[in-house]
Parts: sequence; structure tokens; C-alpha cells
Amino acid sequence: MKKLLITIALMLGATTAYAENIDISGTVESRCTVNTDTPGYYGNPNAYTLTTLPASAGQEPIVRFDVTLADAYFAQVSYPTSFSSSPSLPDTVAWSGAVTVDQTGSADMSGYQAASTTTGSMRQYALTVAGATWFKSTSVVAYGGGASKAFPGGAYKAVVLAECIAQ
Amino acid sequence: MTPTYPKWSVSAIEGVKKTTMTMFNSRKDVQFYEIGVFDESWKPIPFVTSYRILKVDYLSVVNFDVYIRTRDIKDTEYICSLSKLRENGTNLTMMATKICSRFK
Repeated sequence: MKKLLITIALMLGATTAYAENIDISGTVESRCTVNTDTPGYYGNPNAYTLTTLPASAGQEPIVRFDVTLADAYFAQVSYPTSFSSSPSLPDTVAWSGAVTVDQTGSADMSGYQAASTTTGSMRQYALTVAGATWFKSTSVVAYGGGASKAFPGGAYKAVVLAECIAQ
Repeated sequence: MTPTYPKWSVSAIEGVKKTTMTMFNSRKDVQFYEIGVFDESWKPIPFVTSYRILKVDYLSVVNFDVYIRTRDIKDTEYICSLSKLRENGTNLTMMATKICSRFK
């Protein structure tokens, strides 16, 4: 019994002798994720107009940006300027639209829209606060130029581009 | 994509440097992403990866190496991933997403 106790004591002692401090290290990497929150579709308020405005039975696509560090990314969202699929359109198609902040995850993001800049159909936002922001892209398409011709029957689809670019 | 600000490191090939990137897919409707390397004016820069279009399953992470000639490093500004969309048979507007890391 005495020998057994001595053996256990030696083993415990040995365990203590080999114990080491283990460092825990980590780095924080910013990450940007972009998701479709609400898919959009075109309403057809009259024969020559397609629009995502809800008042015209359309739905505006909403995209969500999540960033884990402040001041690391620009969000760039565009409204479409061409159809990705449509019937043949021999006449003039006029594209217009707007990109706006739909929701913010923090009150500190309230200045995003005022501070944003535009280049053509693209609007750029500096994501100065970590967290989630939702952007809405509105699209209005008119057919036939000044003559306002009716869109040919068929399915119309467009693509909204959402970019997250490191600053 | 991470890192946000990648760095070039030596590779096993002379005159070629590499960097390792990580991509996470948070989009259920997208499985494939195209990798691109660009200069400050968004002109493409030649590079090599195992696959230019990567399959990244929903909520999974893929690590990949990007190789570039040492002489192109001074011009390289962005590494980007662009979602590849598939016709989904609906009339819903599709969303293409592009995420870019930047060399500083």
C-alpha cells in the first residue's frame, strides 16, 4: 500500500513537472458577406413600362451586406442596365433606377446614404461601421423611346450587381 | 473573402509568388464563384489557381492559392470572387455578388 502511494505521488509529481503554459493566440480578419434578402421582380403598370416599384405591383430586390470590421470595405450596388433574359427587343430600351439604404443594423449607419457617391448606375457606400446593412435597388424600364411602344410578351429578367471592395 | 488585405509569399517556383485566400459561401442559391485578379484600373492580371471557377457549397469554406509572376506584383491591386448565376426558371431578378480583397 505504501509503495502504491509513493508511486502515485511520483506520477503526480511527474505530471506537474511536465505541465506547460499554453498560449492562446488569434487574429481578427475582417470579412464581408453579401446575401440576397429579397428577390425582386418587375411589375407591368402599362404596356411600355416595367418597374420594381411596389406601387406598380413590382418588388424591389434587397441585398444585405455584413462586415465584421469597420472602415475595411466599400459596398457598391448597381441597378440593372440590361436584361439577362427577355424576348427580342428591336426598339429602344430606356433604363433608370436608384439604389438606397433600406435598413441599417446600427443607428451609427444613418449617414450612409448622404455620404454615398454614384458612378453611372452604381452607388458606392463606405462601410464605416461593423454590422449589417440592407440596400434596395429600384429599376424602371421603358420601351420604345418617346413613342412608348408595348413590350413584347414574354419573361423579363435582370441582374443586380452587389460588390464588396476592400478599402 | 479573407484576408481583406492579403500579402504575397514565396512559392516553390522561381519568379512566382503566391497568396492563400479563404472563401465562405453564405448564398444558398450560388455554388460557383469565379476568381479574378485586377490592377488599380480593374484591368485583368494573369494568375494561376487550381481552378478559376471554384465550387463552394452553401455554408462551407474553401481555401485556395493564387500564383502570380513576381514582375506583376507591383501592379496587382485586387483579388475578387464573382458569383456565377444559373437560370433558375423564375421571373425573379437575380443578384450577382462580387467580393474583393486588396493589396496595400
